[in-house]
Amino acid sequence: MQPMAKLKPQPETTRANAVEVTGVSHIYHGRDGAVPALTDIDMTVPAGRFTVIVGPSGCGKTSLLMMLAGLRTPTSGTILCDGRPIPSPDPQRVGVVFQEASLYPWLTALDNVEFPLALKGAPRSERRERAQAMLKLVGLGSFGGRYPHELSGGMKQRVSIARGLVQGPPVLLMDEPFAALDEQTRMTMGHELLRIWDETNKTVVFITHSLTEAVYLADEVLVMSARPGRIIDRVAVDLPRPRTYQMMATDKFGQLRERIWQQIRAKE
Amino acid sequence: MTRPSPRTVRRLIGLAVLVLWEAVPRLGILPELFVPPLTKTLAVLWSDRLIYFGGLMVTLYEVFFAMLIACGAGIALGAVVGGVAVVRNLMLPVVSSLYAIPIVILYPIFTAWFGIGSESKIAFAGVYGFFPVMLSTAAGIRTIDEQYLLAARSMGASLPQLITRVIIPAAIPTVLAGLRLGGALTIIGVVVSEMLTSASGIGYLVTINRTILDSPRVFAAIIVVLLLSIAFDLAVRAIERRTMAWQTAGRRVASSEDVRAARMPAPAAA
Repeated sequence: MQPMAKLKPQPETTRANAVEVTGVSHIYHGRDGAVPALTDIDMTVPAGRFTVIVGPSGCGKTSLLMMLAGLRTPTSGTILCDGRPIPSPDPQRVGVVFQEASLYPWLTALDNVEFPLALKGAPRSERRERAQAMLKLVGLGSFGGRYPHELSGGMKQRVSIARGLVQGPPVLLMDEPFAALDEQTRMTMGHELLRIWDETNKTVVFITHSLTEAVYLADEVLVMSARPGRIIDRVAVDLPRPRTYQMMATDKFGQLRERIWQQIRAKE
Repeated sequence: MTRPSPRTVRRLIGLAVLVLWEAVPRLGILPELFVPPLTKTLAVLWSDRLIYFGGLMVTLYEVFFAMLIACGAGIALGAVVGGVAVVRNLMLPVVSSLYAIPIVILYPIFTAWFGIGSESKIAFAGVYGFFPVMLSTAAGIRTIDEQYLLAARSMGASLPQLITRVIIPAAIPTVLAGLRLGGALTIIGVVVSEMLTSASGIGYLVTINRTILDSPRVFAAIIVVLLLSIAFDLAVRAIERRTMAWQTAGRRVASSEDVRAARMPAPAAA
């Protein structure tokens, strides 16, 4: 039965790690000359895990995410996504969800989700079908015909998530996706994201400023220092899944949150 | 009793103007030389309809080509100025200053170069309408949200796809605002240049009848220009409605004026 196993499309890597970052530094050439933005970042995200990056403003979190997405090239070091380098954006390997307002206001929700498929020139019927399925996954099955300005902030971010997932990438990168939402919507969206993550088995790298959000969502929280950004702590969150709102009131949750806070505060 | 709608009030004001137009000269409040009665003006417009129609055709012909120049060159150059930082830094300060010059002082030069026929009107009005089109196109492209471009790149968009699928649709509202202004200026440019030096067109009919103090014929020509401007405005609105359905979808309660006001190019706040 050995040949049968070989017929099954096995990815090159054993899919142990969806994201591998080794010795990555980034030097930003600005008006004041060369500014080191990131130094010596090492991180691995095992497939199917939820990793959250927190750190003070301007610590290079977003730079790191841009590099993982292939939108920026590191000055040195290597980045492997799904086992291969990512020199340019590849939405079939890595989907990206941005902070806000990255939906196109002239397209309906459905057309926005179809957008990456349209870029690839996928047939219309297939595009429709897949985009509709993604909208359904994020709980907006009946809102495809609405324009972004007709949707609430939370709904827009749901559409963004659907758009990030529509090409079926194993890795989803999220750059403070809920930062612009009010607290209640933010909590709901975090919970929804965990549901979607659980249903789709994606690997998620999530950037946030909110320590509560970080602990609530993550398997592991990476804490970054102020510029030049380094990873100064790796906090494993061993709270059971599925996560519940009640966990936020537990001592365990508080201790994890406090540990991260101390790291960030000490460096400011 | 309910308050009359703005639309009703507007119509009543319009009607009042027409009634006054007829009544004021008839009652001798103003001499007919200053304001000929409406009916007299319309009668002249009808009896000389072939002359006015001929003039309108000449004016339309000039407006058409002038708009082609203003919009074509304005959009093309505006796209380059808005999209390429080097060109922008080089040209935008110059162009913005030129915009403040009353370009009509250049018209004598245009007649020297192109003669007093339609060519000089087309060239002059084309230049006149060019600046707002170019400036708003440049602004429309320059103020596109970076996030739109970043998102598109993350989804694997190539440069041509960025242009056709993101930059152009994102810039359309601002560009259309420029076309509206530029188009109106083009009509002004043609009519003014016809009034200054020419032998045909609606502007010429205004001038020639004014010199012989034939007020009804001057006003008749003015009515034709008014109708031309209104027709242009309606055409632009129709285009706006077609291309920007997404902005008004779900907001049909709002009047078109509200939507149009909201769409005016914002000062470069971004």
